[in-house]
Amino acid sequence: MKLVINGEEAISKDGINVSELLIEQDVKMPEMVSVELNGSIVRREAFDATNLKEGDKVEFLYFMGGGSVAE
Amino acid sequence: MRTATVVMHGGFERDEETGASTPPIYQTVSYAYKTAKELADIFAGRAPGYIYTRIANPTTYALERRLAQLEGGVGCIATSSGMAAITSVVMGLLRAGDELVTASGIFGGTLSLFVNTLGRFGVKTRLVDAGETDQFARAINKNTKLIFVETIGNPRMDVPDIPAVARIANEANILFIVDNTVTTPVLIKPKEFGADIVVHSTSKFINGHGTAIGGAIIDTGNYNWSKGPFKDIKHLAERAGQLAFLAHLRNLIYRDLGGCPAPMNSFLMMQGLETLAVRMDKHCDNALRLAEYLQGHDKVRWVNYPGLADSEFYGRTEKLFGGRGGGLLTFGLGDKDKAFKFIDSVRLAKNLANLGDAKTLVLHPASTIFHEFSADQQKKMDVTDDMVRVSVGIEDFEDIRNDFKQAIEKAFEGKG
Repeated sequence: MKLVINGEEAISKDGINVSELLIEQDVKMPEMVSVELNGSIVRREAFDATNLKEGDKVEFLYFMGGGSVAE
Repeated sequence: MRTATVVMHGGFERDEETGASTPPIYQTVSYAYKTAKELADIFAGRAPGYIYTRIANPTTYALERRLAQLEGGVGCIATSSGMAAITSVVMGLLRAGDELVTASGIFGGTLSLFVNTLGRFGVKTRLVDAGETDQFARAINKNTKLIFVETIGNPRMDVPDIPAVARIANEANILFIVDNTVTTPVLIKPKEFGADIVVHSTSKFINGHGTAIGGAIIDTGNYNWSKGPFKDIKHLAERAGQLAFLAHLRNLIYRDLGGCPAPMNSFLMMQGLETLAVRMDKHCDNALRLAEYLQGHDKVRWVNYPGLADSEFYGRTEKLFGGRGGGLLTFGLGDKDKAFKFIDSVRLAKNLANLGDAKTLVLHPASTIFHEFSADQQKKMDVTDDMVRVSVGIEDFEDIRNDFKQAIEKAFEGKG
């Protein structure tokens, strides 16, 4: 399916969830990234349960808080 | 991992590129990218990466990760000095018309920042006695945005009831900031007692050798930024969650004020951290022995050390610091003349304005770090004319005691 990731068209496997998308798109520092789907932030605990569909607009955002131990 | 291990292994194990086992010093101003889009994505927050060392640097980042882990926080920003850390935090939270509450026995530099510098920008500081918990609650009004305390007031040596003050801040939905410089995460992790933000002057015990100036800000994760009175941070919390405040600093306040550490200094802080746990044990040990020696000396009028069993703060020292009173103590010989003579007569101890060095340091606070305060103000802060502050080092205790013994004798020579 086609998605718009960070403003650019991208091809992704049909029906995958946000966690799978992070791996598929080889997103850097996935534990630090915030994901916005069609204008709304997806909560981290909802990554697995949030499935994507054709035409979805996804933004990956980084807030450099520094020294996060989550990494 | 426990604290004595985290100081050595936390946040950095090896350099990914080279395997270097100590953090390489990235002595660079900026970071080059192959394409314009890569750099644009980093500026826009769409990709992670370094831009400019005033904002972030890989050597400093290693230090930030280690300090965040040591304090159990969600993240850390290292700064050029302890004062830069406190300045960034309060400038990031307060606006003209806001108020803060702090203890009157805190470090003179911090007090000057609050009263003099922030006073010029329309921020009001209310001073309370750190020992009297109720005073904190009474000093809060609708304009109050934060409470700031030191784990042990320097040089008053008073210990606030940190969990009780945390509850007061929490009930008022304001921020509770704890300066953990003199105790370090080896003696207390303020997060566990309700602190929202922990600040450090890393120039002191963390560096440990008097080689570099630095500071740090740690967000403990205790404060819910989406529910606080800080509108711009609340807005950021919708996206950045627990990292909202640090992102607010990194992308605005800290970036704009420019209080970033030199990469070399971040390296020196990492070196110092490795031995922090063993040094703190020895500092506390020697300080207690020296306090007991001074207490038993017939020429010494008074000794103030929160690790002494008869200190009015010993109960809190037990509860908060596991019974260890840190490496700082104050004592008096009766008047300023004797204090000066004592300082002039020590041979091993150094007379200088610093603390937390591996070496024993002495200082006359009234004429140095508090000289800008009037006699009346000094009295309110319990900074007496006869006070000598000691940062007890990790030398062999017998040598420290002998040095103090001979210097006290000299201070009284010709006085009968």
